Amino acid sequence: MKKILVVDDEENIRFLYKEELEDEGFTVELAKNGEEALEKFNVFSPDLITLDIKMPGMNGIEVLKRIREKERNLPIVLCSAYGEYKQDLATWASDAYVVKCADLTELKETVRRLLKL
Amino acid sequence: MSDDVRPYELLKTILHLSNASLSLELRLDRMLQAIAETFQSDRCLFLKPEVIRNAGMLSRIVSEKKPFWVEDASSLPREDILPEEEDLISPSFVCLPLDDEASCQGILYIGFQRSRRFSPEEVDLLNLISMEITGTIRKAHFPPLPDQTRFELTALRELGRVVTSTLKLEDLLQLILATGARILKAKGGVLRLMDRNTGELKVKCRLGDYDQNPFGAKIARRVLSTRKPFSLQQSEKELPFTSVLCAPLISQGNSFGTLSFYDLEANPSTFSEAISQLLLTTVNQISSSIDNALSHDEISDLARRQELRARRLSTLWELNKALLTTVNLDRMIELTLTAITIGDGFGFNRAMLFLLNEENQTLYGTMAVGPDSAEEAGKIWNSLSEQRGSPFEMILALQPTSEENSLLNSAIKRMRIPLSHGQCILSRTVLEGKSFNIQLPALEEEVPESSCGRGCQLGSGVGCQVAEQLSHDPKVYAFATVPLCGKGKIIGVILVDNLYNRNPITDEDVHFLSMFANQAGLAIQNAILYRNIEDVNKELKEAQALLVHREKMAALGELSDKIAHEIRNPLVSIGGFARRLYRTLPGEVPENKYAQTIMVEVGRLERILNNILQYTRDDSIVHEACDLRGILEDGLSMLLEELDDGRITIARAFDEPIPRVMGDRQGLKQAFFNLFTNACQAMQEKGTLSVRAYPFSRNGTSFVRVEVKDTGKGIAPENLHNIFNPFFSTGESGLGLGLPIVHKIVTSHGGQIEVDNHPGEGTTFIITLPTHPGRPPSAGLHPKAG
Repeated sequence: MKKILVVDDEENIRFLYKEELEDEGFTVELAKNGEEALEKFNVFSPDLITLDIKMPGMNGIEVLKRIREKERNLPIVLCSAYGEYKQDLATWASDAYVVKCADLTELKETVRRLLKL
Repeated sequence: MSDDVRPYELLKTILHLSNASLSLELRLDRMLQAIAETFQSDRCLFLKPEVIRNAGMLSRIVSEKKPFWVEDASSLPREDILPEEEDLISPSFVCLPLDDEASCQGILYIGFQRSRRFSPEEVDLLNLISMEITGTIRKAHFPPLPDQTRFELTALRELGRVVTSTLKLEDLLQLILATGARILKAKGGVLRLMDRNTGELKVKCRLGDYDQNPFGAKIARRVLSTRKPFSLQQSEKELPFTSVLCAPLISQGNSFGTLSFYDLEANPSTFSEAISQLLLTTVNQISSSIDNALSHDEISDLARRQELRARRLSTLWELNKALLTTVNLDRMIELTLTAITIGDGFGFNRAMLFLLNEENQTLYGTMAVGPDSAEEAGKIWNSLSEQRGSPFEMILALQPTSEENSLLNSAIKRMRIPLSHGQCILSRTVLEGKSFNIQLPALEEEVPESSCGRGCQLGSGVGCQVAEQLSHDPKVYAFATVPLCGKGKIIGVILVDNLYNRNPITDEDVHFLSMFANQAGLAIQNAILYRNIEDVNKELKEAQALLVHREKMAALGELSDKIAHEIRNPLVSIGGFARRLYRTLPGEVPENKYAQTIMVEVGRLERILNNILQYTRDDSIVHEACDLRGILEDGLSMLLEELDDGRITIARAFDEPIPRVMGDRQGLKQAFFNLFTNACQAMQEKGTLSVRAYPFSRNGTSFVRVEVKDTGKGIAPENLHNIFNPFFSTGESGLGLGLPIVHKIVTSHGGQIEVDNHPGEGTTFIITLPTHPGRPPSAGLHPKAG
C-alpha cells in the first residue's frame, strides 16, 4: 500500500484529502506546516507528498527544496489555491502542479500517474 | 579848343575810319593824324596796353578809368611819374583811357608844347572820340559775325521755347536733343543722365545711333567729371564720327548729365570756339529746367508708388483681418486663396496652395480656388462686381462655390510633388525659398519632352499638370509662385496665374503677394499647430481614460485576488465533501439531490473565481509553439462535458495543416472555451456552433484565423461596444468576464479579435493570431495587464 504525506495548513482540506485518498486505497499521513512536514518525511518515508504552497512559516517551495536535497526521486505534487506559482521556476522541481478544486479528479489522476499505478 | 577846330568834321572822319576796310594799325594811324591836325597838337599817340607798367601815372589812369587832363604841367605832382614817363610830360597834355567797361584797350595821348586850357566842348569831343576808338579796337579783336549772332539768338530762343513748354520729361529731352542738333547741324546726339543711386551715366535719349560708341561714352564721362565742355575735330577713319561736341548739364554746382552732338556739318575752324560757347550758354540755361523736370518726375513717380503701397498695405490689413477670424485649417486656406483671387484683394484669376510634408519631403496639393472655364470666370466676376464692401467683408461673405465639383480643385488635390524633383518650379520655390514670376513661351502644338517627364516646358509639375486641366490650351501662360513661410521654415507654396484675363503679372504683384504669403503662412502654421494640439489633446484624453480604467482594474484585481484566495480553500472543502456525500448517499434519497445542488453551485463559484483570477492575473505567460487544432478540440470537449443534452450541434471546419501558433496553451484554451460557452449561452433554443480555422497571410506575414459562429440571438447593437469591457454583463450569467478574458488573451498573443454581429441571426467572432515563427516573441507578447 502506497503512503502519501499531505501537507496543508487548512484543517478541512487535510481532512478532505485524507478521506478521498484513503478511499482510493492509499495510506495517508498529515502535516499542518513545513516543519511538521519535514519531521513526518523522515519518520513516515512516504511514496508521494502533496504540498500546499501558501503556508505560514516555511512555505511549500521551501519545503520542496529541503526534501529534494535529501530525496531526489520522490514524487511531489504542489497544490495551490490558484496558478500564481505556476511560472515560478522553483516549482519546476516538483513533479506536478495542481490547482486546488472541489473536484479532486485531477489530483487523484496525477497521484496515480506519478506512482505508476 | 580854338575856333577853327571843326568837331563835326573830326567825328565824321573818325567814324568813317572806324568802319573802313583797312587794317587796324592804318586806321588808328589816320585817326591819330586827324586828331593831331584838328587840335594842332605836337604829339598824338596810341599807348598800347603792353607798354603800360603796373605802377606810375599811366597805370593809375587805367585803373581809375578816367581821362587825365593837364593844362599846366609845372603844377603836376611828380611823385608817381616813372622815369620813362618823363618824356610824356609836355607843358599841357591829356590821357584818355580806352576802356569799354570789360577791359582796357590802351590810352590815347595828346601833348601840347605850350600850356593851354580845354573847353567843355573839347572835353566832350575827345571823350566821344576815345569811345569810338575803343569800339574800333574791340571790333578789330573780335570781328563781328552778323550771321553767327543771329544764329545764336535763334538757337537760344528755340531752346528757351522748348524748355518752357509743358511736355512730358521724355518728350522734352527728345525735343531738346532734336532742336540742338538742328541748330548745330549735327547728324546725331545723345543725352545722358547720371543715375542718382549708382552714379552711372545712362543714355536717356538719343538721335541716331551714336550712343553705341564707347568713345562717345568715355568723352561723356570725362565731361561729367570735369564739368567742362569738350569738343573734338578729327579725321581718323577708325572713329565713327568726325566731330563731337559735349557739354555738362550742371545744376546747383553739380553735374548730373551730358549733352553731346556728333558729326557737325559746319566748318570746324570757324565755329569751334563760338559753338562750344553757344552750347555752354544754352546748356546752362536748360540744365536747371531738366533738373527740375527730373525731380518733378521722380517725385510724382514716388508719390504714385507710395499711394499704391498705401493702398496695398490697407488691402493687406483687410486680408489679414479676415485670416484672424478662424483657427480652422481648411477655412484658413480657403480664406487665403479667396483673398488672393478676389478683385479687391490681389485679383489673380486662380490660386493654388501646396503644403509641404516634412517627413517625406513632398508637396501635397491642398486646395485651389478659381473658375474652371472662362465662362464661369465671367459669371463670377459679374456677380462680384455687383457686390459692395471692404475686402474683409467680401472674403467672409464668399462661400466656396461647389468645391467638390471644381475640376481644378480635385486636380490639385491629387498632386504630389517630391522636393527631390528639383526641376519643378514648385520644388525650387521651396528649396530656394524665393518667389518666381514666369512667362511661358507660347505653347507649341505638341508639348516637347522635358526632364520633368510630364512634358512640361519649364519642368514645372504645375505647368504641365495644370495645363492638362486647361481645355483651351492658352497661347501664353504666365504664372507666379511664392513660398509660404511659417516660423523659420517654409511650409508650402502658393501658385497664382491669370489664365482668363491674361493680365500680366508684375514683379510688384509678386512682391505684394509674398508679403501676404508671409502673413498667411504664419496663420496657416498656427492653424496646423492648433489642429495638432486638438488631436493630441483628444489622444491624451483617451489615454487618460484608459489609464484610469486600468488603474481601476488593477485595484479590482488586487482586491479580487485576496478575496478569491480566501474563498478558494473553504470552497474546496465544501465542494469536496459535497461530492463525498453525493457519492456515498444512495441515489433515491433527497439528500443526494441536496449534495448535488451544493456541488453544482460550488462548481459555479469556482468558475467565477477562476475568471477573476485569470483576468486580473499579472500575466507572464510561458510561450511555446502550440497546436491550435488540439487546443480547439480540447476547448470543445470541455464544453461537451457540460452540454450533452443535444440541443447544440457542433460543426468543425479545420484546414490541414493549421500552422502552429506561439503562445500559452492554457490561456488559449481558456479563451476559446470562453468563446464556445458564450456561443452556447447565446443559443437558448437549438442551434449550431460552427468553428472554422484556416491559415492566411497579409503583408507577407502569415496568420491563423479562427471563426466561432453561433446561430443565436446576436448582440444588441447598443451593447456591442461594451462586450469586451470587464464586468459588463447583460445579466444572464456570470460576472461578464468571459469576453474580456478572450480579448485580453488574444491581444497578449499579438492577435486581433473582430465581431461580425447580426442581431436575430447570430454572431461570429473572428480571431486572428500570428503563426510561429511569426512575430518575434519579444514584441508585444508580454504586456502587463495591470
